[in-house]
Amino acid sequence: MKKLLEISLGVVTSVGGFLEVGSMATAAQAGALFGFQLIWAVVLGTICIIFLVEMAGRFAAVSHHTIADGIRERFGFNAFILPLLATLLVNFLVLSAEIGGVAIAAELATGISFQWWALPVAFLAWLLLWKGTFGLIEKGVSMLGLVTLCFVVGAVMLRPEWKEVAVGAVPSLPHHDTAKYWFMAVSILGASISPYLFMFYSSGAIEDQWDKSYLGTNRAIAGLGMSFGGTISVGVLIVAALVLGAHGVAEVDDYNQLPLMLIPIFGFWGFVLFVASLAIACFGAALEVALQQAYLVAQGFGWNWGEDLKPRDDPGFSLAYTLTLFLAAIPIVLGLDPLKLTIFSMALTAASLPLTVVPFLFLLNDERYVGEHRNGLISNAAVIFVTALGFVLAVVTVPLQIFGGT
Amino acid sequence: MQLLRDILDKQVVDREQVKIGKVDGLVAELRRGKPPKVVAIELGSISLARRLGVVPGRWTARLAARLSGKRQARPHRIGWNKVRDIGVDIEFDIDVRRTRIFSWQDWLREHVVGRIPGA
Repeated sequence: MKKLLEISLGVVTSVGGFLEVGSMATAAQAGALFGFQLIWAVVLGTICIIFLVEMAGRFAAVSHHTIADGIRERFGFNAFILPLLATLLVNFLVLSAEIGGVAIAAELATGISFQWWALPVAFLAWLLLWKGTFGLIEKGVSMLGLVTLCFVVGAVMLRPEWKEVAVGAVPSLPHHDTAKYWFMAVSILGASISPYLFMFYSSGAIEDQWDKSYLGTNRAIAGLGMSFGGTISVGVLIVAALVLGAHGVAEVDDYNQLPLMLIPIFGFWGFVLFVASLAIACFGAALEVALQQAYLVAQGFGWNWGEDLKPRDDPGFSLAYTLTLFLAAIPIVLGLDPLKLTIFSMALTAASLPLTVVPFLFLLNDERYVGEHRNGLISNAAVIFVTALGFVLAVVTVPLQIFGGT
Repeated sequence: MQLLRDILDKQVVDREQVKIGKVDGLVAELRRGKPPKVVAIELGSISLARRLGVVPGRWTARLAARLSGKRQARPHRIGWNKVRDIGVDIEFDIDVRRTRIFSWQDWLREHVVGRIPGA
């Protein structure tokens, strides 16, 4: 019974991490422009992240080390510095985009321009991290994240042709806007397979003091939680395809078009639900990314860390998330378009994947860390596949950004 | 045991299991007619910067000396004779509060973090 509760909590929590501004924006854009045709990218991304999250959790539960610890310790400082800098940069952009997402939601709700909201949002997030515990952040915010289920409800209420949805789950070649199609596919993959997601998950396993007895729980949470998150993304895509497409909005290049999505289904409440979903999903993700920046630095240099400690007991760690949050608010304060920043940072995430995924192949097969719980054939095949995918994405992202980017 | 594989870059903890840092460098003593012997490990930004190259090492040492005085211009060292346990983490029989390794964290606590309400 206790395990069951733990698993359901974990599943809800991982939805909080999965669904953020990137997955919402990319799914909405893809749905509006290409109908159901890009569902396969969400499905593929979800399968990849299930494997990576399961491995990150298993690594932490067995070795009591996080993935960031593992990369530094196993490969040495000179090899660690590259993924460290790349991930810090990508996370910074993603954090900025999440703050922008909350700020846009606040603008939609109040009419006051998003630029004014960036600093208050950053401050509120900082306050929660400064005073709150890991449990509060993990469970409280992600419980609220359940509001995003309204996209799934909306998708079902629109009665899509389920056969066409299934057809969309199989990759196919585009009939128009070829470069844009592939750029959208790359952005969706980047939004689903986020390094911050699996790195945060492994830190969370340490914060929650997982040990080997959690291996089953870990597998269930990774599989169910990420599938749940993927389902909501598909919901967003279906709603966007049926509503935005039907209203002639083929190209989502402005956040103001997005609330239209739920209005035909739920009326005025559709607007409220959209604003709440955007605000909560992005705020939850902002908390996680800001924490992950601090985890990454503290773990990489071996400092004391832990969200449950008082800031005065881990000053380096708490100063890292403080600086990161307020710096990430600056681009939004200066008026950088959050939607453009989101799509750009998702593509960059995809390009940075090899740096953080290749280490999995070594760490999860190293008996000194994972002992008898090392990767089997299927997990290793999955890592090799994600790595290969990561390399392809890294190579094609920049040209696609130029020819297919918005 | 292999030095680079099993010691370098591993997590260092003190006898209270406080995380001190990672093994950023190793110090070996050359002995005439005998194999070299590890005498200490090094911790801190200076030894890390030295691993990237001579120039970054020199600049970091200069910066550290300017910021916190000549005493901090060299990396922190912990004698190898203090080592207590070598596992995934490496435990040393020291109390980090009696060293200068955390002096920058103490400074932060006193001057920055501690001044923010709720810390």
